[in-house]
Amino acid sequence: MLSRVADSLYWMARNIERSENNARIMSTQLIHMLEASDQQVMDRDWEEILDICASKEDYYERYARMDRETVIQYITLSPMNYNSLQNSMIYARENAKATRDSIPDELWQLINRFYLDEKTQQDQAMTTQSTQAYLKDIIQMSMTAQGIIESTMTRGIPYAFIKIGKWIERAEKTARILNVVCEKTLRDSSDTENYYYWLTALQIVNGYDSYIKEHPPTMDPKDVLTFLIENEQFPRSIQYCVDHIMRATHKLESGKISHYSEDLFELLTGIQNEIRQTDISEMTMEELMEFLDHFQNSCYQVSRTFSETYYLVEPVHANH
Amino acid sequence: MLNKYQVGSFYDEMMNDDGQPKNHYESFYDLIRQLSDEELREKHETAQLSFLRQGITFTVYNDAGGTERTMPFDFVPIIIPEEQWAKIERGMKQRMKALNYFLDDIYNGQEIVKDGIVPEDLIRDNPNYYEKQVTGLEIPLRNHIFLAGIDLIRDEHGEYRVLEDNLRNPSGMSYVFQNRYVMRQVYPELFFKHSIRTLEHQFKELHGALISHAPKNTLAEPCAVLLTPGMYNSAYYDHVFLAQQMGIELVEGRDLIVKDDVVYMKTIRGLKRVDIIYRRIDDDFLDPEAFRPDSALGVTGLLRAYRKGNVAILNGIGNGVADDKAMYAYVPDMIRYYLDEDPIIKNVETYFLRDPEQLEYVLENLEDLVVKNVGASGGYDMLIGPHSTEEERSAFRRKIIETPSQYIAQPTIKLSRAPAFQNDEFYPCHVDLRVFVMNGATSHVLPGGLSRVALKKGSLVVNSSQGGGGKDTWVLAGGGMNHA
Repeated sequence: MLSRVADSLYWMARNIERSENNARIMSTQLIHMLEASDQQVMDRDWEEILDICASKEDYYERYARMDRETVIQYITLSPMNYNSLQNSMIYARENAKATRDSIPDELWQLINRFYLDEKTQQDQAMTTQSTQAYLKDIIQMSMTAQGIIESTMTRGIPYAFIKIGKWIERAEKTARILNVVCEKTLRDSSDTENYYYWLTALQIVNGYDSYIKEHPPTMDPKDVLTFLIENEQFPRSIQYCVDHIMRATHKLESGKISHYSEDLFELLTGIQNEIRQTDISEMTMEELMEFLDHFQNSCYQVSRTFSETYYLVEPVHANH
Repeated sequence: MLNKYQVGSFYDEMMNDDGQPKNHYESFYDLIRQLSDEELREKHETAQLSFLRQGITFTVYNDAGGTERTMPFDFVPIIIPEEQWAKIERGMKQRMKALNYFLDDIYNGQEIVKDGIVPEDLIRDNPNYYEKQVTGLEIPLRNHIFLAGIDLIRDEHGEYRVLEDNLRNPSGMSYVFQNRYVMRQVYPELFFKHSIRTLEHQFKELHGALISHAPKNTLAEPCAVLLTPGMYNSAYYDHVFLAQQMGIELVEGRDLIVKDDVVYMKTIRGLKRVDIIYRRIDDDFLDPEAFRPDSALGVTGLLRAYRKGNVAILNGIGNGVADDKAMYAYVPDMIRYYLDEDPIIKNVETYFLRDPEQLEYVLENLEDLVVKNVGASGGYDMLIGPHSTEEERSAFRRKIIETPSQYIAQPTIKLSRAPAFQNDEFYPCHVDLRVFVMNGATSHVLPGGLSRVALKKGSLVVNSSQGGGGKDTWVLAGGGMNHA
């Protein structure tokens, strides 16, 4: 398969996944905010949302203050924000368009249709209700896309690149969310606040329902962290994502480790071991922060090494 | 429905002067009469949307950036009886054969020039004549034209004539298939009682023709690719579709690299050798080393690989010398010269403005003629006399006098018309037909082709960039109609 095509498949998957994650985060946040009243708290909440979904610094470069309408616009439709939902959808569509001969036609049509429909609705003013509807549509479309991929695609190379893109994006996002939430709990130590933060963390990764089946609703931070980092069954836990990246890469390489894929396997094995050897329940919050920081970096590293392994990044000194 | 339909002074594909359908349209006529206005409207909408959602679009550049548009689709098909098609088919193969001989001759001995059939300066001064790059090259099968699109029209007597040869990168083949696809999805009832030639096996032919061009230095099973300028090109959908249907990789210039005069594509497992390139980028952009140094679309060293026989490039380089509007007028002579046959499908009469006598005639009769720039395509830089204003005519008069050899003129042909359903009514629209010919070890004509229709009322321009639409084309098979 052409490296360019592999690269496009990978980024198509990442952008679909990114839009779904960010839409869910936004949607959860909007609901939580209905009950908040303290302006300071709200501002801080928005900053954290920006940290997870985009970049707080980039936002403040353009706008002087936190303002609900502006943030919503920035995260959903703004062309200025590289990671806005709208932009993610545009990138996903461009990548899908560039790989039309490698993806199921239904997938292309789904993405294209979504793009066309959203474009016609763009002129209407965003009310809370229409924003929620828009976010729901994005989540729905991502899930439908995954359904099409699972039910129609041959388990070959294009499939592997799509899935790996999705898992890398997910692992990175979960690590980012945990980082932001941990920082928050370090700042405010009241139990009620903490309870609320961890609950939010579970909700924005769509994990609350699964969590509550296994744990008491006390939101013990160690339990939540263990669940989101180490759980092997929950499809958004870091462990789950890394295991699946590993498995898919193994399959891609027919079980062999060659010189060019050595670094990638080493990195993935390293992360797997680290997670297994770390006992989260024994860690202090500070140690946890450090662990998460390190971990988030490893996730970025995986995405870089993966791209290098399959020439997804054009080497600077192409030998012409 | 078709009650108010006026045939007028043009040849109508479907209707007779007396308001009755032509024989081969009888079944179709009966079938559409069973559909209500409401159904027709609804189906019309569904059909247009279907193209948009499938992303069967082309890009238009003139307004702010590039806008994606679909080609409007009209459901009234052009139906061609079997015998008539057989004649077109023969005519196309004959024309291809002569044009290919011509290209081979031009880039070798130039016998046709020596024998005084084609003037030398017409070749020498042609911007698409690549003497330096192509002369003397041994190319696979000595075939320069892998895929051609020949534009046909019908005059007021219903006689088919060739309007234009496209021997470089004829686009639109995907529309033939998509028009048929949408037609079958949205108007299944209209196929009833008709027996028409299927399009199912065409890609086997196309792929076979492609692979038959394997260059002499091919080592293993030949690897073929389609080279596209990328997704922002107006015909990108065409490229995607052809690559997909033939099961070959769709590549861009940046996916290819030439090492030691061998072409490779960059894959996730390193470099893979490429033997045949069906390119959909223009000659000028193919290889910055041999053509335009500023081209970012092409591949450095491609021509060296081509010269060494390490890769086949289709269509051949330098085909533009044979398909411009000035050379067009000589094609009937080529057919006589190389094949010793009379042309089966005639040309439209053409005036050369380089000839003083013809120039004078044209300048005096501008309002009755169509004037075209020999280098332009897509309906640009063109004057349609009967539809022009005095101002436009004087602008063209100036341009013609300045560079007469840049223009040709043709009588305004009364292009045939066919009913089109637009804005809830049937009205007559001018049509033409692009026929696709695939050449390899053997020649094959795709049954039917792309019927293009000028949907703007009264317009003569069928190009999709100027508001033209498409129709399905049915070639009747095995006796045509099934009246059972």
